[in-house]
Amino acid sequence: MDEAFEKRLPKPEDLNAMTEESLKAAFAGESQAAEKYMVFAEQADEEGFPNIAKLFRAISFAETRHARNHLRVMKGINSTVDNLATAFAGESFEIDEMYPAYGEIAKAQKNVQASRSIRYAVKAEMDHKWMYSEAHEKAVDGKDIAAQPVSVCLICGHTVIGDVPDKCPVCAAPKDQYKTF
Amino acid sequence: MPDPFKNTPPAPEDKGVMTAQNIAAALAGESQASQKYLAFADVADAEGYPNVGRLFRAVAYAESMHARNHLSVLGGIGTTTENLKAAWGGETFEIDEMYPAYDAVAKLQGNDSARTSISYALKAEMDHQGIYDSTLKGVEGKKDLDETPVYVCPICGHTALGKAPAYCMQCGTTAEYFKEF
Repeated sequence: MDEAFEKRLPKPEDLNAMTEESLKAAFAGESQAAEKYMVFAEQADEEGFPNIAKLFRAISFAETRHARNHLRVMKGINSTVDNLATAFAGESFEIDEMYPAYGEIAKAQKNVQASRSIRYAVKAEMDHKWMYSEAHEKAVDGKDIAAQPVSVCLICGHTVIGDVPDKCPVCAAPKDQYKTF
Repeated sequence: MPDPFKNTPPAPEDKGVMTAQNIAAALAGESQASQKYLAFADVADAEGYPNVGRLFRAVAYAESMHARNHLSVLGGIGTTTENLKAAWGGETFEIDEMYPAYDAVAKLQGNDSARTSISYALKAEMDHQGIYDSTLKGVEGKKDLDETPVYVCPICGHTALGKAPAYCMQCGTTAEYFKEF
């Protein structure tokens, strides 16, 4: 990102409480729109509408620009050391509080698909938590993490650094169902 | 006994009210985590941590898989016709209700940077509403969208079909920055 580019972005600002509430809600809305449109793109591909799929992906990208702008104004984008600490705290909340509570309720209500969706997420968040913890330790010393592939299961989001297992330990998807970064 | 759930994302089901609320909240949480990590990845790249940047992108992708699973359980993935209607409905709500209300509050409170972020989003949602509307008419006649490039401004999300404008008419960003889909 060069300077001319940076200059056009909405700047971080001291926000009044009500405006901050608005931007938080708008950030939540844009983030969900971006995710929905990516899923809708896959559906359009399956139905033989490749150009509508491309349109959904383009508009999803536009929504990610709005999400980033709102987050930036709320001072939610900081240094990498701080960002890793924020990411770690978010994963910890989901593992320790959010998903266990949601899981209990889904179990009590006998909603098996919801239970599965919750279990897939919480398992992957545990991978993410320690990855962020290790990266944070390194970044505090000014060091990058090792240049190893990071792979993600397309079904459940299981995340692994290094070799991909023959089948996903969480949902049993085969090796070829992983996307490598 | 074979696991009937293996290798497929969780499916829609009739849910208890509390479980439905929880899965909707989890969809919001995963979507926001994904968008934060994508923004954090850009910062990591800019600070010279390319491998932390890659980790953030991989984990963002994992969160997108969780968002898709939750959306599926909620019954939010339809046919392309239904998806275009849902997308149009979302954009229309943001244009008619959400962003005008948020802008009125931000204006009252003198939060100028928030107003810029809101205005960028609102104008792009108008592009999206129009494009979804014409695309929906085509699909109802079983027609894909024309094979034409889609351009998105990386600052404000302005979206144009066909030819890239010389500069963004919303925020003034020049054509070379536009992302083509």
